[in-house]
Amino acid sequence: MKSREQEYKEIFIAEALEYYDALNRHISELERKPQDDQVLAEIFRLLHNLKANAKAIGYLQISDVSHKLETAFSLIRNKELNFSDEVVTVLFDGIDLLGDLINNIDNDSFGEADPVLLRNLDIIVDSLSDSTIELAKVQKYNTSRNLSLSDLIYIQIKKLDHLLNLVGELMIDRDRILSISRELENDDLKSVSSHLYRITEELQYSVMDARLVAIGSLFNKFPRIVRDIAVAEKKEVNIELSGQDIQIDRNILQIITDSLLHLVRNAITHGIEKPEERIKKEKPREGQISLTARSDRDNVIIRLTDDGKGIDLKQVKKAAVDRHLLSAAVANELPDIEALSFLFEPGFSLAKEVTEFSGRGVGLDVVKNAIDSIGGRISVDSVKGKGTTLTLQLPTSIAVKGALLFEVDEIFYAIPLMHTESVVSLDKDELHEVGDVLVANIKGETITVAYLHELLNAKETAMRLGDKTKLKGQVQDIIIVSYNNRKLGLIVDKLYRQQDIVVKPLSKPLDKIDLYGGVTLLGTGKVCLVLDVPAITRYFTNRR
Amino acid sequence: MKRILIVDDSFYMRTMLKNMLTDAGYEVVGEAPNGQTALELAKETKPDLITLDVILPDNTGLDVLKGIKAEQPDMKVIIVSAVGQEVIVNEAIENGALSYIVKPFSEEKVLETVNKVLEGNGKN
Repeated sequence: MKSREQEYKEIFIAEALEYYDALNRHISELERKPQDDQVLAEIFRLLHNLKANAKAIGYLQISDVSHKLETAFSLIRNKELNFSDEVVTVLFDGIDLLGDLINNIDNDSFGEADPVLLRNLDIIVDSLSDSTIELAKVQKYNTSRNLSLSDLIYIQIKKLDHLLNLVGELMIDRDRILSISRELENDDLKSVSSHLYRITEELQYSVMDARLVAIGSLFNKFPRIVRDIAVAEKKEVNIELSGQDIQIDRNILQIITDSLLHLVRNAITHGIEKPEERIKKEKPREGQISLTARSDRDNVIIRLTDDGKGIDLKQVKKAAVDRHLLSAAVANELPDIEALSFLFEPGFSLAKEVTEFSGRGVGLDVVKNAIDSIGGRISVDSVKGKGTTLTLQLPTSIAVKGALLFEVDEIFYAIPLMHTESVVSLDKDELHEVGDVLVANIKGETITVAYLHELLNAKETAMRLGDKTKLKGQVQDIIIVSYNNRKLGLIVDKLYRQQDIVVKPLSKPLDKIDLYGGVTLLGTGKVCLVLDVPAITRYFTNRR
Repeated sequence: MKRILIVDDSFYMRTMLKNMLTDAGYEVVGEAPNGQTALELAKETKPDLITLDVILPDNTGLDVLKGIKAEQPDMKVIIVSAVGQEVIVNEAIENGALSYIVKPFSEEKVLETVNKVLEGNGKN
């Protein structure tokens, strides 16, 4: 956990830099209107705060210089000191020195302040109106200094969004040109297009990289939040962070912010027990929450763990039966991992009471929808009495996704790799008709299998997903997808390859068909529909 | 739980005060960065105590103190000031402030002053 000292320090520096900028603005204004009382009062206030804050946190040099400047300005305010050119120079230098000191708080090699400047400030403060004569002899601070601009710029995220969209369009055209150059067998065109390929790829990664922010920018807010919630809930909770340096797309971070806040609140209000209860259970008095991030190839894994009371599976099953989501008989035999999936069903909540912090009626389904919307995954693991772990698997970037391409009825489709578990080939005889679906035993698991040709093409009323006679050929290629701990096999006509795709939203009227999550254009110029795995899985869950 | 309103234009100072007070079991019902907000929050939250910084961006702490006292004569106010502002502090005490804290303050000093003022019978 970041210490309170660290938090104070960050606040101090942020506010001090704000004051420094404001001081620079106001002193320029004062140069034009030397006796403006309002501007003087404002400068005085800023220096006064800076002095008090620096003294409180122990940056004595900053507090000392602020104090000298504050005194000088109060002399000017009381008309005991003229705002002459020489004095102005020293005051500007003094404010610059403040800026240097603030910017170098963590820089051990930053030496002492220029003694000449400090002396000039003392002269102004101590010798009042006749000081200007002496000053002219000594002042020489930083006059040879070059103007330097910051190496960092701020940029509106929507400009980066636009840039990324353009790169997406460019990639589609690039793939098309590459494909045409292969067809035409023109060597010059081939060489140009392969160069174009590399450049576009580098451009794509550069733009994606420009949008990355450290996950710490979100994580570091949590110690304070945890503290506030814990106090309100009369609990003792410590939070441990790790992986703050891990980078993630800024928009993805934005989208998961509320979700993560919700999950942390849940962990404290419903997970961690009150101190008395913890002691009774022989747990440390203080509850422990850990929030970690790590990179896993193209994904970022965020894990939230608490050592609280865990999730009672019996209660989950009972709630699922009470809500008619499944029968009591099925509930008894349901594997734990599938039972936990019910926590993500809309409106499914085990919370009995609404507290100030746990929110009202917002369940894990809202979190799940947010994660789904960016193509991520969430899973939960819990041991009753020991605690709960939530794992969020998020893409590093929104725009480009790895996908598996395949063909059904001579049309191209893609499934994001995030949702694919494996690809298997099964003999038709290994598929069994059970009710109105097909099932297969794949690596010891009984998995529902759907013939995509039928699912995507047949009319709803005539659809016969449990009819093996519809299948073509003896050996079936099956893509195993998984969503919310539920696996589903999809039979395809022909498997192609893995490819990075740029997913575009569907335009009307196709956007009404909820089995598709978007569309992409292939190099050949052919349209490729991207299947929405959450939607397809839900379709089968609802049938059950 | 006693309810406290913090008036200070520095976020850093407000954060420190808030942490000290909430750690000690007080409820901080509001934080005002300027005089205008201070007057509004004092009316709205009706705290048991207000800590009031004397230098604020829009008006002086003294004006804010008078404004609060005009509306809520029994409101308990503690002045927060820096060294060298004894004149203002004295004037504030004459205008009904019950005590003062000098920046930079220690946690002990803050809590001691706040406890003392809150335990008083409020007749001041």
